[in-house]
Amino acid sequence: MREPLHASTRINLEKVEVLLVDDSVPSLNLLSQVLLGFGIGKLTRADSAKMAQALLRERTFDLVISATNMAGVDGYELVKWLRRGALEANRYLAVILVSGHTPPSQVFKGRDAGANFTIAKPITPKIVLERILWAAKEDRQFIECETYLGPDRRFKNDGPPAGAKGRRREDPPQALRPPGAQSLESADSEKVKP
Amino acid sequence: MSVMRKFRAPNRLSMLVRANGGMMAKDALAAADAALEPLRAESLAVLDAALAEIEARFGRSAATTRASGAYQDLYTLALRIIDVSGFLPGSCVDQAAVSFCALVDNCAEAGAWRWDAVDVHVNALRLLRTTDLNPDQRRAVIEGLNKVSQRRIDDA
Repeated sequence: MREPLHASTRINLEKVEVLLVDDSVPSLNLLSQVLLGFGIGKLTRADSAKMAQALLRERTFDLVISATNMAGVDGYELVKWLRRGALEANRYLAVILVSGHTPPSQVFKGRDAGANFTIAKPITPKIVLERILWAAKEDRQFIECETYLGPDRRFKNDGPPAGAKGRRREDPPQALRPPGAQSLESADSEKVKP
Repeated sequence: MSVMRKFRAPNRLSMLVRANGGMMAKDALAAADAALEPLRAESLAVLDAALAEIEARFGRSAATTRASGAYQDLYTLALRIIDVSGFLPGSCVDQAAVSFCALVDNCAEAGAWRWDAVDVHVNALRLLRTTDLNPDQRRAVIEGLNKVSQRRIDDA
């Protein structure tokens, strides 16, 4: 269970290098102001995923916050690419996606792309700071296989995906959930909107 | 069966946030709120401009031309409203725009516009933005919109 934000929690973001990606200038401005308010000293803005890719090939960052809906390469493709194609030092970055429309399918898409968390817009400073802290305290291991590279998506121990044979030593011989039931628990959005 | 590797990756963010100094969360949140305030007027202008563009391109006044509009264009305009609607807490404008996105998604999936539902969303957004409604009335509007947007073409 991840902890909610406490008023007295001390946080130091002065030396954190953040890459903020959004092709909506008003949204980019809002998020920038929030992050600067948090005391982030090294903030780089990219107004497209292409620009973000160029930066991620050249420089090392500590956190990426990206919009999902962008013209051309979207946020999901950006995360997928980052996990395999960015500088080696950037491949295991904490990634937070920000989305205005977060039906479960989109949240799962973000998770399956390799993002750590998804935040629903409109953003609030409290939720953004809380997710940054969650990302800092992330204790999930990384999984790399043919089709996925990112934080472990099965951190709630509900066994292998429905219909799949477990590949892990700790997998039970059969899935823990009842046959036919879908696993919908690990959507890392703070709220899933209809 | 494909090969799977499980490993601990370095988390630089974790090391940096624990460095001495910094500030308490309550102070960080207060500073962020203060930093946002100068963007209020600009953001509300963006919201009103997006709503006006939706009405001009996809509203009743554009009845003869709106069918040629792209789903993605209307979806993007609704997202623009959501982006900046944090400056109208409790107005439910954000929720109306989310319902609008769901509607456009459904229309795109079905490959056909539902203009009655689009008109309802445009009117509701205008109502929530400009009229002094109480929380119960706002909630009722959103409940109605969600029913409309989740209704598929084949349910009609």
